Amino acid sequence: MSDLSLTLQQIVTLFVVAAIPTGLWRVSGVLLARRISSQSEIFEWVRFVATTLLAGVVAKLLFNPSGVLELVPLWVRLGAILAAFLVFMLCKRSVLIGVLVGEIVVIATLYFIQG
Amino acid sequence: MNLHSGSSPNAVQAFWLKGIYDALLFPAWVVAFSLISIGPLAQAAEYSVFAAMASTVLVWAGPAQVLFFSGVSAGMALPAMAFVIALSSMRFLPMTMALIPMLPLKNKSLFMQLLIGHMISVTVWAESLRRLPSIPDEGRIGYYMGFGGCCIFLSTISTGLGFLLTNTLPVAFGAGLLFLTPVFFTCSICAGARNAADWLAIVAGLFLEPFVSDLVGPEFDLLVIGLTGGTAAYLVKRHLVLRDKGKMA
Repeated sequence: MSDLSLTLQQIVTLFVVAAIPTGLWRVSGVLLARRISSQSEIFEWVRFVATTLLAGVVAKLLFNPSGVLELVPLWVRLGAILAAFLVFMLCKRSVLIGVLVGEIVVIATLYFIQG
Repeated sequence: MNLHSGSSPNAVQAFWLKGIYDALLFPAWVVAFSLISIGPLAQAAEYSVFAAMASTVLVWAGPAQVLFFSGVSAGMALPAMAFVIALSSMRFLPMTMALIPMLPLKNKSLFMQLLIGHMISVTVWAESLRRLPSIPDEGRIGYYMGFGGCCIFLSTISTGLGFLLTNTLPVAFGAGLLFLTPVFFTCSICAGARNAADWLAIVAGLFLEPFVSDLVGPEFDLLVIGLTGGTAAYLVKRHLVLRDKGKMA
C-alpha cells in the first residue's frame, strides 16, 4: 500500500475511534447550551462540575504519571505542584512564574537523581 | 451595549489579533509543548507524521490522543478504544456548556457554534473563562477564535516536531514536558478562583481523586468527582450568595 493511502487509512481510523467519541461531548454541550437560557443557574453548577473535574485530572496526572515522569518520585511531583502554587500566589497569580517554578523543581530533581 | 462603535471589520480583526497575541504570550506554548509527547506515541504506534499531526487538529484532546496511540500500540480492540476515549472526553460536555453562554452566538450558524465547541481544550477553556469577561461582546468570538486557532496551529506543528525529534530529547526534559500539563492546569484553574466556593471545587477535585479512583475505578472516577465536588462547591456558592443578600436586606 502506498504511503498516502496508508496515512489516509490511519486518519480515518483516528477520526472514527478518537475524534468522534470526543466530539460527541462537544456537540452535545453546544446543543444543550443552546436550549438553556444563559442566565440559568445550571451553567453556574456546570462550571463548578467542570472545574472540579479538571482538578481531578491534575490529581490523576500526578498520582499516575505516564512515561518518564514516573522517574520523578511522587513526593517531588507533589512538592513541585505545591511550590508552583505558592510562588504563583505570591507573584500576583502569575501563571508563567508558577509553571516555571514547577518545571525547575522537576527537571532539577531528575538531573540530581540521575547524577 | 453600543451597537455602532467597535463593530467595524477592522475592530473585529483587532480582536482576532489580540486573541492570537495573548495566546502567543504563553498559553499556546504550553499546549504546544505538552502535545510534543503525542509525536513519539504516534511513532511507537507506527502511524505517520501526518496522522500524528491530524490527531491534534481533529481530536484536540491530549488524553484522548494518548489513549488512542497507546491503545493502537497495545493492539487494543477499536470499539473498546472508542469507548474508553469517549469516557475520557466526558469533561467536554460541562466545559462546552459553561463556555458557550459567554459568547454572543444568537445569530451565528450551528457550524460556527460547533467549531467553537471543537476548539475547546482545557487551556483554551480555562483561559477563555478568565479572559472573555473583559472583552466587549462584539469582539469575543474573534478573540476566542484567534486564541484557540493559534493554540491548535502551534500544537499541530509541535506534534510533528515531537514525532521527528523522538529519542533525541534528554530524559529530564521529557519529564519536564509531561509535567507541564498538571502544573499549568493547576495554575490556570487557580488563576480564575475568586471565592471560597471556587477554591473548594479545586481542592475537592485534587483530594478526592485518589480515593474515588480506588472506589469506582479509573473509568468513572472523574465523573463522580466532578458531580460530587462540583455540586458541593455550587451549594457553598449559593449559600454565600444568599447570605450576602441577607446582609444587604
